[in-house]
Amino acid sequence: MPTVVLMDSSLSMTRPVSVEGSEEFQRKNLAVHGLTMLFEHMATNYRLEFTSLVTFSSLWELMVPFTRDYNTLQEALNNLEDYDKTCLEAALQGVSNIVQQEWGTSCPCQVVLVTDGALGIGRGSLRHSLQTVKQRVEDKKFPLPFPFPSKLYVMCIANAEEVVLVTDGALGIGRGSLRHSLQTVKQRVEDKKFPLPFPFPSKLYVMCIANAEELIDQAYSPFHAVLRCGNLTSDVQVFPRPEPVTIDEEVDPMPRTVQTDLEIVGFIEIGDISSPPVLSRHLVLPIAVNKEGDEIGTGATDDTEEETPTNQMAGKSPNFCVLLHGSLKVEGMVALVQLGPDWFGMLYSQADSKKKSNLMMSLFEPGSEPLPWLGRISQLGPASDAAENPYGEDDSKSPFPIQPKNKRSYAQNVTVWIKASGLQTDVQKILRNARKLPEKTQTFYKELNRLRKAALAFGFWELLKSVAELLERECTLLPDSAHPDAAFQLSHAAQQLKLASSGDSKYAAYEHNITPMLTDFSGGGGADRI
Amino acid sequence: MRIFSVSHKTAFVVDHCPYMAEPSRQLIECDMLTKSRSQGVIPLAPVSKCLWTCAIECSMEYCRIVYDVYPTKKLVNYIVSDSEVHILNSWKQEDQNTQQLMTALAAVGPPNPRQDPECCSVLHGLVAAVESLCKITEYQHESRTTLMDTADKVANRGRIICLTNAKSDTHVRMLEDCVLETIQEQNKRAAGSDRLMPIQQCELVLVHIYPQGDETLVSDRQKKELSSVLSSEVHSVRAGRYLACKLNVLVQQHFDLASTTITNIPMKEEQHANTSANYDVELLHHRDAHMEFIKSGDLHMAGSTSRDSGLKETVTLKWCTPRTNSVELHYCTGAYRISPVDVNSRPSSCLTNFLLNGRSVLLEQPRKSGSKVISHMLSSHGGEIFLHVLNSTRSTLEDPPSISEGCGGRVTDYRITDFGEFMRENRLTPFPESMVDAACRTPVERAKSQLERHTRYWPMIISQTTIFNMQAVVPLANLIVKDTLTDEDVLTCQKTVYNLVDMERKSDPLPISTVGSRGKGPKRDEQYRIMWNELETLVKAHVGTSERHQRVLDCISACRSKPPEEEERKKRGRKREDKEDKTEKNGKDTEEKGWTTDSERLKGVMEREKDEQSECEIIKDSPDSPEPLNKKPRLDTEEQQPPEKSKGPVSLLTLWTNRITQANSRKHQEFAGRLSSVNNKAELYQHLKEENGMDVHENGKATR
Repeated sequence: MPTVVLMDSSLSMTRPVSVEGSEEFQRKNLAVHGLTMLFEHMATNYRLEFTSLVTFSSLWELMVPFTRDYNTLQEALNNLEDYDKTCLEAALQGVSNIVQQEWGTSCPCQVVLVTDGALGIGRGSLRHSLQTVKQRVEDKKFPLPFPFPSKLYVMCIANAEEVVLVTDGALGIGRGSLRHSLQTVKQRVEDKKFPLPFPFPSKLYVMCIANAEELIDQAYSPFHAVLRCGNLTSDVQVFPRPEPVTIDEEVDPMPRTVQTDLEIVGFIEIGDISSPPVLSRHLVLPIAVNKEGDEIGTGATDDTEEETPTNQMAGKSPNFCVLLHGSLKVEGMVALVQLGPDWFGMLYSQADSKKKSNLMMSLFEPGSEPLPWLGRISQLGPASDAAENPYGEDDSKSPFPIQPKNKRSYAQNVTVWIKASGLQTDVQKILRNARKLPEKTQTFYKELNRLRKAALAFGFWELLKSVAELLERECTLLPDSAHPDAAFQLSHAAQQLKLASSGDSKYAAYEHNITPMLTDFSGGGGADRI
Repeated sequence: MRIFSVSHKTAFVVDHCPYMAEPSRQLIECDMLTKSRSQGVIPLAPVSKCLWTCAIECSMEYCRIVYDVYPTKKLVNYIVSDSEVHILNSWKQEDQNTQQLMTALAAVGPPNPRQDPECCSVLHGLVAAVESLCKITEYQHESRTTLMDTADKVANRGRIICLTNAKSDTHVRMLEDCVLETIQEQNKRAAGSDRLMPIQQCELVLVHIYPQGDETLVSDRQKKELSSVLSSEVHSVRAGRYLACKLNVLVQQHFDLASTTITNIPMKEEQHANTSANYDVELLHHRDAHMEFIKSGDLHMAGSTSRDSGLKETVTLKWCTPRTNSVELHYCTGAYRISPVDVNSRPSSCLTNFLLNGRSVLLEQPRKSGSKVISHMLSSHGGEIFLHVLNSTRSTLEDPPSISEGCGGRVTDYRITDFGEFMRENRLTPFPESMVDAACRTPVERAKSQLERHTRYWPMIISQTTIFNMQAVVPLANLIVKDTLTDEDVLTCQKTVYNLVDMERKSDPLPISTVGSRGKGPKRDEQYRIMWNELETLVKAHVGTSERHQRVLDCISACRSKPPEEEERKKRGRKREDKEDKTEKNGKDTEEKGWTTDSERLKGVMEREKDEQSECEIIKDSPDSPEPLNKKPRLDTEEQQPPEKSKGPVSLLTLWTNRITQANSRKHQEFAGRLSSVNNKAELYQHLKEENGMDVHENGKATR
């Protein structure tokens, strides 16, 4: 989940913060200090996160495009300049553009807004934005909520007195404060009080953060878990952190979180799972946990190799993740993993363009049946329990995909006559076969019965009469060379259709089929006599 | 979309009154004469559908699309109204298919124009629709029972689509009022019932159908709130294709659908097999499949207006060759069922058949310039076609550290193939809902417990194991992890053990790892000891499963050669006073259970060897008879019998083997080293010891 740090560089950020018994700081200095902490934390614990730095005043500027190089970010942070007034709307619009350009609209992003809580004045100030928010035209909508799934954290730089307000959850007090403003926007969006900027509102999180530690806790603490396959286990970090998911706000409003015990339930071939839709993808990185009595710390080697860094040691002791990854890759399989009650995901080997390969975890939508072609996950059991090996003795079969109870319309030769051409095609098919009687007797009656059924269901009796007439005419047009059976069959079919069109329940039953007339010429008996 | 939104329940009310038998006046030529036969034949008069037929086929088309895109949870209740009400199906999931509706419609037949119009009304149907909306669906029921305390969160909303021929705007108003009243009435009734739910929200969609060429008597009206519960809209539509278009637009609005046109589909021409023309096929699916376009504002750029349905927008995606292969795992952010707009046209059925045959097609966003972007994929799973949305933007996970750089990344001898085999054995398969085992475990729980059993003893690297590198152990290793063993299985396990005994007798080499020890590693009999220990560890891990598992362990204990320690203990029994400390140590070793690392084990081995070395001096005066290959040192008969007894009866095989070994050993000259050895171990470089005293012990330690 990439991060955009949106740093207020307006003049108000240079206001002093009085801290007793020490030298005077500017708010900016505190902000830089907080962000330094954040960057340091990310560099060590969350270094795969892409972060960019944007500063804003009345204008905004992309200082550092998305990078994992935290030194560059730090450097830019140290060289910030001071500008004029605070214009938040333009800056948020800028962030929106930057993110969409880089990641599109489906990638969730975190935005960390660092400001002193001043709303700014005049045009472009938040106050102004909110006053005009209702009179916007289509392409000048307020940039919140962002079109991509996002979390907006507001880190407010305030002095000791203000901090009370901040931890109290407020950015300034009362109406007109930034918090209030943002909350108002959020509230209105949620209540649908004003037309949404986009037809599909993404989740908008606004959160006020008292300081960098809280932000780190909230958003950047690494997600550690234990990957388990029976008795084989490995400590892992899941990156990026899996976010809580809400499925149906109405019936089940509690967001679901991924548990820290990831239990493999079994394995499935890649071809069988076949590119399933996923909510998010995560790297599963094995980690060495330095606990007392841990295998790494003890054992035969501790007396000689004490200086060896732990990670180097860890590289040499077997890890289940590496074994699993290797086998998944070689076999072309995925492991189905349980993430929580009624929530599953899959583990697989993912290679990037540079042929570097990794263990990856994708999360399915929570629920008992995330993939229709696998059926209910709780009903998946070990293949060895089945009476007959569902994969076949030579691996030539597969129990997947599961066939749905009813076929879809495109798989069952439905009759649709909404367009005249549909009806004409069906009539032509019957006539074409009629001209090739008696060779095509079976197809002729099959098509005839299909038309009959549809006409009866649609109450289209007139069509039955018309087709009957067509068949009768066809009968009169038969060439002399025609097989004598053709005439019998045609008049038989025409008569049956006419009877059906009368609506007489004896002949118009839907399930009834017109069967070929038994003549002296049809079947084996006829051939004998000739 | 919320499960219990308005579209959870749709009640179709179709007017079956005599005036619906009026012709729509849209003429269809069904006598298409081919040129060669046209001379002298008068073509038949074109046919015309009646209003009823138009209403039925358009509503069936609506249902077809709903059932294609939402096979579950979106339910339709079909009601026909004349002098009475005909309810053609129920909310039950098994009633939700077009075949069943078609059968029921055939039974109803077209309206009878001679029926008395006074006693016929669509009102009967509307009342029945409201009653029906109050009825709880199986999904609502299930949700209410699982939520229990928050059961009130299960909403009851629904939509009534009424296809009728109204007399006037006042008539329409009357219909609306009737629905509103009925809802109020029914809600009161429902409040006191378990199987009924009051309606919280109802959308009434009135479609007035009139013959082509007539003036409409009813005016269109946008959606309007009639009360907090009921909203109503009126559509006045000419019968025929206008009606079909209208219902197509409605189904898209009602079910959040969007349209995609696949363009440039290459198709072979029937007449000219070697040429191919390009066709377009329009598909409907959930609009989330266009999320990326909608949000990025590309919708207008990517889309063009659909030719058939006027107002409706469609996104054009280009057929892309080459096709993708099925074993590729695409990063897919959504998969949505599709329904072709024109289901039985030739291009549509060509495309759907192609997909149903198991092939997938990648779809490309048409761009005026720049690189091609593959944004979607069409693929079928079990006879259902899905539009997969592929991620086409930059990945946040790019350039990750390779797995070989992380923990355990530098270990090279993982049992990759064995674990692959393990995965194959633990593949999943669907079981019918009814199948529950004795312990009432769901299949997935059984799968987990199987994984647990199979991994009780599973060394991850080749150098950690001996038995899993031996073909001979395979039958036993495969069987012992099973939940239940048959007598035959036990027999197979026993045979495996006997086979190992035989191997040991023949002194076959073992694939034991030499990693971590210098030189050639442990000696043959030591190797077998390690192997037996490991086998015992494996079987012990499963001994609690059943009595038959225990029998396998018993067999191993009985057949395996005695670990030397035990012999030593016997001997030491006489010399306990001077060797107490060492016995203690060895005792610990024998009792050692579970899973020791290889190096630890080797260390133990070396220590034991050290002990034995010192013992050599003590028992030097033992008879120098030729030692049999069997590891049991045959000192003399009185010493041998007691340990045998303590271990239970000796199998016939063992007795036989011993005898043969003994006989064989006489036929060749024994090695000098073995002759002077004790427990099949001869001390090397004894002269050094004599020269340097005790130092040699320190140097002799193979491990640290």
